[in-house]
Amino acid sequence: MTGWVGRPLARKEDARLLAGRGRYLDDVCRPGQLHAAMLRSPHAHARIAGLDAREVAAIPGVHAVLTGADAAALSHPIRPLIPTAVPLDDWCLAVDRVRYAGEPVAAVAAVDRATAEDALETIRVEYEPLPAVVDPEAALRPDSPLLYPALGTNVLWHDVLAYGDVAGAFARADGVLRERFEIQRYASTPLETFGAIAEYDAGLDAYTFWTNDQRPGLTLAILADSLGVPQSRLRLITPDIGGAFGNKRRPAYLLVCALLARRAGRPVKYVEDRLENLGALMHACNGVMDVELAYRSDGTMLGLRVRDVADEGKNLISPTQHNLIKLGNIVNGYRIGAVSYEAYSVLTTKCPSGANRGIGKPFMCFAVERAVALLARRLRLDPAELRLRNYVAREEMPYTTPPGAQYDSGDYAATLRRALERFDYRGWRERQAHARAEGRLLGIGIATSVEPAGTNLASYELITGRRAASGSAEAAMVRLEPDGRVRAALGDPACGQGYETVVAQIVADELGLTPADVHVERGFDSATTPWLYLSGNYSNKFSVTDVGAVVGAARAVRDKLLRIAAHRLEAAVDDLELAEGQARVRGVPGRGLPLRELARTAYADVLGLPPGEPPGLEARHAHQNPLAQPLGADRTVRSQLVFSNAAHCCLVEIDRLTGMVRILRHVVVHDCGRELNPLIVEGMVHGSTVHGLGAALLEEFRYDANGQLLTSTFMDYLKPTAADVPDIEVDRLEHPSPFTPLGAKGVGEGGSIPAPAAVASAVEDALAELDVTVRSLPITPERVWRWLRGR
Amino acid sequence: MTVARVRLRVNGHAVERTVAARRSLADLLREDLGLTGTHVGCEHGVCGACTVLVDGRTARACLLLAVQLEGAEVTTVEGLTPPEGLSVLQESFRECHALQCGFCTPGMLATAHELLAENAAPTRDEIRAAIAGNLCMCTGYVNIVRAIELAARRLAR
Repeated sequence: MTGWVGRPLARKEDARLLAGRGRYLDDVCRPGQLHAAMLRSPHAHARIAGLDAREVAAIPGVHAVLTGADAAALSHPIRPLIPTAVPLDDWCLAVDRVRYAGEPVAAVAAVDRATAEDALETIRVEYEPLPAVVDPEAALRPDSPLLYPALGTNVLWHDVLAYGDVAGAFARADGVLRERFEIQRYASTPLETFGAIAEYDAGLDAYTFWTNDQRPGLTLAILADSLGVPQSRLRLITPDIGGAFGNKRRPAYLLVCALLARRAGRPVKYVEDRLENLGALMHACNGVMDVELAYRSDGTMLGLRVRDVADEGKNLISPTQHNLIKLGNIVNGYRIGAVSYEAYSVLTTKCPSGANRGIGKPFMCFAVERAVALLARRLRLDPAELRLRNYVAREEMPYTTPPGAQYDSGDYAATLRRALERFDYRGWRERQAHARAEGRLLGIGIATSVEPAGTNLASYELITGRRAASGSAEAAMVRLEPDGRVRAALGDPACGQGYETVVAQIVADELGLTPADVHVERGFDSATTPWLYLSGNYSNKFSVTDVGAVVGAARAVRDKLLRIAAHRLEAAVDDLELAEGQARVRGVPGRGLPLRELARTAYADVLGLPPGEPPGLEARHAHQNPLAQPLGADRTVRSQLVFSNAAHCCLVEIDRLTGMVRILRHVVVHDCGRELNPLIVEGMVHGSTVHGLGAALLEEFRYDANGQLLTSTFMDYLKPTAADVPDIEVDRLEHPSPFTPLGAKGVGEGGSIPAPAAVASAVEDALAELDVTVRSLPITPERVWRWLRGR
Repeated sequence: MTVARVRLRVNGHAVERTVAARRSLADLLREDLGLTGTHVGCEHGVCGACTVLVDGRTARACLLLAVQLEGAEVTTVEGLTPPEGLSVLQESFRECHALQCGFCTPGMLATAHELLAENAAPTRDEIRAAIAGNLCMCTGYVNIVRAIELAARRLAR
């Protein structure tokens, strides 16, 4: 069968988005809707000695006010995804203490946003400032100021996990490379900011939320807990979502809207402004990593010791995530037999950290790939050759890494070789020599990576000691409507990934239709979409779980169609096929029934159904990826499930006068298994890679010693523009995963993981005459300028 | 609160409204006229999501006050869209997969529209320079550049 899956189909959703007919959160308006604004702490750390909001209510246009004390009286603390050792009460507004500049302490709902913002100015807050703690290493020390004195420490997790004979590997080594690397705070900053509308129905004691929250399963659980209402009385709907990349979730803001809506008796909308978004929503953890790499003089890598300090900011929802996810790619694509990982997850008085394209893996890859590049320098080996000597071979798949990740498929050496070929590596090494002779600073950088997909929540048992959630799963619905056309829905709300197209391709193949016949709901609606606690748009999971859910639901409908058709046509099910909108007897032209006719039977003429067959043509299916396992007795952990891989080759030139790094070429060869829609896949690779380039050269949430964010607008938190980045050149290999229904693997995070390391190596290579070592990012012109001038 | 009467044309239609002096053009378009195709991404004039055409030239709807638009001709994405189907530029964006989440797209279309009106055959570098004031967080710009090139070729025919 020549199917729809695998074709580079233009997207179904684009017609509306291009015409300005998308419907994003701020486009949704409810009758009588009020607008909320939040009063936020100017201090990074302070005790709230008093808060007086009595004047607010008298202001014309103000309908409700909510303080931290109100929140504590009206709601329950927010339930974390990963609980801390001592339960810490954390409400939707700060109650007696603020722990980062920008933390909300009160909220007002008024007739419009401007009135609400004006009203905030009448709220008097008496702060008693406390010392900020900004540096994660300082936060580890026993004398550090504490965010939560009840905890007795800022450290949320500290452990040493060892896998394989680490001491033996280091004893056998000819040498050990020791380096310290740092990563800055950055974020993918979706162009649409986060927001929500809450509407309270007093008659039903029920709430409806519209939000661009990308992980509704978890959020619904938090809302039910905090509001103290059954989940059956909560409804959450996602409209079109203007990008997410992990950042878009903050159940606290939904709670603020809900409590204000209940007070005001009217729907309440809150949409972040960009200042609030950059300063208070979510940053990727900054951190420090000490790496020791044991090697033999021929370049064989034997063992890896890592000490990793992840700076969580004030993250109580999902701390330790950045640490734990690193176990999935700690040895990258290399056959390193022994690994020790010492993890610190530490609180500081900064914006909460959280999910951001790749979660922890970009830093892990940066550290390992930098170490590999430095080892190549030390051993005077070509960095490509060193990698080729150490890759897990294709024949070894599925390969289990020391910490327990299973690499399911792929040919890492072939990926790199293809990248070198596409880049013309040999040719550019020659051209580089000529350029250097002319005094130009031209550099070539290579980085390769594995790209894990799907999260297994059982891995958090390593930290919490108990299993609250586990595995990786998603749910979907496929319904052949009475008119013979299809409606499908998925528990994973798309945030730009084109599910309306890809899901339609998959369902069309299963039911013998065309994608035009399949309508995929634009978002998530908890009242109609099947969903799980695990539902959401995260962790690169579409190919790992969502596809299985869609395929399972479609096949249930297909099987039922075939049974009804067999009954109607008096044929055997095995002799039938679905094709061209019909159920027909294979090889017997003219003997078939259109799906519309079978739908008529299923919905209207139900006496025509086979005996015992229930009416209707709707199936709901939840798919659990079979690779997820409970925590191993030896503390091995399959934190992520299916592995794509990529090789990046980057060519940079540095301006000696200004220190400006210009990326001349960036070649990506990647392998995400079977590509369900190559057009969409390539777009993801472009976008994800540019996220990595931004982290490499431009982006940093920089704090001063008092915990004040210095880069809080797009004027100083710099994103890559079209003029900053080259055309990303993409090629691909396709080694399907044996562990996903259609052989597809994750693709959304791939570019962002190795790109920073590739750029860093290219810059270092360009500055070879200065013997510079790049240990941190971003590589700003100022830093390069200082290197060039020996300062 | 200071209010003022403002008369302008939006997508070819005469509009007359009394607006608070502090309301932006984006507020007027989105909230008063229901033209939600214009998106607001940063409210400080950097991201370009709210870019519209004012008398044929691009402008940030978040940085203009509605009262400044007296007598102006404003064109939004709704006005750039033909009554049926898509424009050549929009169709090129669709075919080249030049959008993912779609939030930057209306502003990007306005900027590309202005570019192609001034320069019928822009080079890649000219395209990149022209759209450098419009942030896209999804596409890495590659396909946007391709789409504008394709539209230029098609419009030249």
